[in-house]
Amino acid sequence: MSGAKSNPERNLAELGATSAEGISALFVEVRARFDRETGQLAAGDLAAWTALRNSWLGRSSGVITAIGDNWLKPSAPEQKRVVGKLLNELKAHVESTLEELRVRAEAAGETGAAAASGTDLSLPGLRRALGTRHPICQTLEELERIFLSIGFSVVEGPEIETPYYNFEALNIPEHHPARDTMDTFYLSLPKGSPELLLRTHTSPMQIHTMERQQPPVRIIVPGRCYRRDNPDSTHSFAFHQIEGLAVDTDITFCEFKGTVEYFVREFLGPKTRTRLRPSYFPFTEPSAEVDASCFACDGRGCRICKQAGWIELFGSGMVDPAVYGFVNYDAKRLSGFAFGMGVERMAMMRYGISDIQLLYQNDVRFLRQFV
Amino acid sequence: MKILYHWLKEFVAIPLEPRELGSRLSLAGVAVDAIEESPAGPVLDAEITTNRPDLLGHLGVAREVAAIVRSSFKMPEAQPKESAERAGDATRVEITCPDLCGRFTARVLRAVRIGPSPDWLRQRLEALGQTPINNVVDATNYVMFELGHALHAFDLDTLAERRIVVRRANPGEKMRTLDGIERVLTRDMCVVADARRAVAIGGIMGGAETEISSATRNLLLECAWFDPISIRRTSKALGLRTEASIRFERRADPEMAERASRRCAQLIQEIAGGEVLAGVVDVYPSRQPAAELELTRRELLRVMGADVPDAEIEGILRALGFEPQRTDANRAGHDSLVAAWRCTQPSWRNDVAREVDLIEEVARHHGFDKFPPRLPAARQPARRLSHANALDALRERLIGLGYQEAVPIPFVDEVHDVLFREEAAGAPGIARLANPLAEDAAVLRSTGAVTMVRTLEWNLNRGQRNLRLFEIGRVYGIEGSKSVETPMLTLGAAGLAREKSVHDSPRTFGLEDLKGDLETLLEICGGVQAEAGGPAWLQAGRAMRLALVREKSALSAGDTKWAGAGGQLARRVAERFKLKQDVWVAQLQLDPLVRAFAAHRAGRHFVPLPRFPAVERDFSLVVADGVTFGRVAQTIRGLAVPEIENIEAVDLFRGGAIPAGKHSLLVRVTLQSHESTLTEAQVNEVSARIVAALEREVGATLRTG
Repeated sequence: MSGAKSNPERNLAELGATSAEGISALFVEVRARFDRETGQLAAGDLAAWTALRNSWLGRSSGVITAIGDNWLKPSAPEQKRVVGKLLNELKAHVESTLEELRVRAEAAGETGAAAASGTDLSLPGLRRALGTRHPICQTLEELERIFLSIGFSVVEGPEIETPYYNFEALNIPEHHPARDTMDTFYLSLPKGSPELLLRTHTSPMQIHTMERQQPPVRIIVPGRCYRRDNPDSTHSFAFHQIEGLAVDTDITFCEFKGTVEYFVREFLGPKTRTRLRPSYFPFTEPSAEVDASCFACDGRGCRICKQAGWIELFGSGMVDPAVYGFVNYDAKRLSGFAFGMGVERMAMMRYGISDIQLLYQNDVRFLRQFV
Repeated sequence: MKILYHWLKEFVAIPLEPRELGSRLSLAGVAVDAIEESPAGPVLDAEITTNRPDLLGHLGVAREVAAIVRSSFKMPEAQPKESAERAGDATRVEITCPDLCGRFTARVLRAVRIGPSPDWLRQRLEALGQTPINNVVDATNYVMFELGHALHAFDLDTLAERRIVVRRANPGEKMRTLDGIERVLTRDMCVVADARRAVAIGGIMGGAETEISSATRNLLLECAWFDPISIRRTSKALGLRTEASIRFERRADPEMAERASRRCAQLIQEIAGGEVLAGVVDVYPSRQPAAELELTRRELLRVMGADVPDAEIEGILRALGFEPQRTDANRAGHDSLVAAWRCTQPSWRNDVAREVDLIEEVARHHGFDKFPPRLPAARQPARRLSHANALDALRERLIGLGYQEAVPIPFVDEVHDVLFREEAAGAPGIARLANPLAEDAAVLRSTGAVTMVRTLEWNLNRGQRNLRLFEIGRVYGIEGSKSVETPMLTLGAAGLAREKSVHDSPRTFGLEDLKGDLETLLEICGGVQAEAGGPAWLQAGRAMRLALVREKSALSAGDTKWAGAGGQLARRVAERFKLKQDVWVAQLQLDPLVRAFAAHRAGRHFVPLPRFPAVERDFSLVVADGVTFGRVAQTIRGLAVPEIENIEAVDLFRGGAIPAGKHSLLVRVTLQSHESTLTEAQVNEVSARIVAALEREVGATLRTG
């Protein structure tokens, strides 16, 4: 660190720099030397970097310390201000440049080391195999969330029922033709025991709920149901439904329609249109089938909706006053609506599943698709 | 039912193309699923709901069309040319069971010529999916599809004494029906008989001995009305559903019987010639006056929530045959709030018997789309199921542990179900189906394990080797005459716990994995404890009974309430499912888990973090086989040193320098004081006490070197 006109080992007088310009020129020269030395530093050479840092920032022998000792300290007060300012600038430059070089050198060093050890980031990481929720449960959860958001509470009930709750109290007396559409499994019981059956719909919970509580009623009933249908791609002898029931002093067909339309838009998207088609169920009057504009073609007609533009979703209607008679509700003062939708149908529609049996085989290759 | 577009046009002017008509009918409640072309013109395929027998004929559908397009509806008037001789002189009719047969009409035709029907008639029947037989039979079918009322023609000359007795069948009475099958009848069935024998099962099917043949010359034309419930019972008992039984079981129109008979006589005369005797023999014990109904605007508004104008209400009800008459005091005013109409129930609309039924008629023809949608007012907070949070938390953990959720059908083979049953005293009996569809789906499962093993089997048979599955679902039983449904959590696993990869070595799933998964899972319920043993369907030595820590601490010592069991499926059971692999199953009752979850949630409290460092001390012990880690830990805890924070088993091995019959156990004890930093002397003192206690209580020696 000698030989140059700006040798920091000598004082300013020795270097012949007494004017501000002269001092400034000395600092320019020092800085140029620093820049030259850093320019020669090899990327990734941390040892060279350390040597360089020591020669400039070393506490006892570094250039910056030397300038402080030899140029600054002996200066006269007005000169001291100039030197001090220039020294601070120089020090900041040296520190920031060295820090930058260190980061760069380390990064270069790591890459080199990685390349040498053969890290292959195209290999998959070490993953934990997580499970998945069944698509029926995911669909149930989504349906529940929609109805919870408009004030429907969730209730559950038994799958093994009496004919009274499954049929009679729902205005389906024995020998009613509607019983044909719900082929029923009966339990084998000792002679003389009252008959038990597997519920063919979640509607018996309408009766249980109204027996237990007074209006206002707003419930949904998710659950498993059974029908004695031979299994095929759209029939399974066990399946799931969500029943809905709202009874109050001020529920009319308009509230029924508003609820159904809200549900359809939430479940199938805000652009979906809803259509109520008159139908017949013994426990609703008026009764309606709920259709939604086809999600695949937006109502233009396609293979999925069989060119109709509409897809049948579920049955529903205003609670038939005869049902109130079974639960001691005042049919003159109260009114309400009910619906029952097939959860499998909703799930199959949502995920494009063509065969209902897939939902019950629990093949893990199938289940994994619903992450 | 299939509907011919051109046939409808005979009763009503239709300003709509078939496709448009189909969609308008659908929106009025007659669901038209498809429209096809036929030689008889366009055919609409409609789904008729069971409450509308009147729509099982073209006339009824035409009446709906008239209400839809508000055009006039033409009721066909049929009048055959009658001869002088009276039907009443040629035959007699007697009903001895008026509860089963409410009306019976008979017309007599002479000298008809049996032959094929004309093309137009054959075409129409064929378009409806019917096979033409001969002109007389075809005429009865044609009129059934036209007017919705079934008829039957007998060969008059084959009827004993040429007379009819409608009666209950004699017990065991036999009759061969038109389809050639001999039917054995019972007392509650209604038969149409002649003087000697049954000649038809009333309202269901005619008999073979009296059917129309090519030699038939004289006819007795039956058009009757039978009780719907009786028809339904008989049809079910005989396993015989016909176009006639479908109409009668839904309650046909008794008033239509005579009209349909007249129309049919006219048609037979037209296509088969012959002579129609004057008048009709009409026995009508169940004749009833038409009921009157009232519709008020107040009730319409209460049910529908939006108004329909007077003119619309009256137009619809008139078109459908309800003959509405304003009866309120304010009848000069339009759309009055107190408006009321008196209506007459048409004989063909038994389904409309109340005000709300009239409201539906008005609403569906006015159009459901005209009523504005509104969300109901909220009255109370919405609640999830009380156990929903627990189930969410359990599912979340299970998925985190790598288990996939399964939803099986709970029907199983009883042979399989019993493999998993524990015949404890008071256990519910098997819930068997009285009418199963298949032998391997004849009982409702009594355990979650049986369906879990079947699910594992399904996947293993399809090359899926590394499995982890869970199910939350019910199991079923019968107690006395009552059903029991118990929610269960079932876990199943097979194959590798850890698959081989570039980063990891493979490891087979074992008891420790199942136990660890259950421990991790049930942390949220306050922990689980396992003890060796379990039901017979688990492999001895690889089975554990499970108890919830929370439930256990609530019981007196020595008394254990088991929440479930788990382990490796017994080889004996696995072989029944032809499983070669080891599979692991655990099964827990859900209700105790839900209770423990709630209690654990409620009992969570913050403990201040330690301010002083913890110290770990390792004890390398040699103990006799049979001395469990549990006993070691219990011994250390028995010292009741408050600074003992945690006791862990870090290593376990046998062999090497360890003598036979013993094993080495490395136990790590964490010491932690909440008052001060533990000094070396304090730690050494506790360590010495631990070693002394272990030597004394479990005969452990400290391993040296």
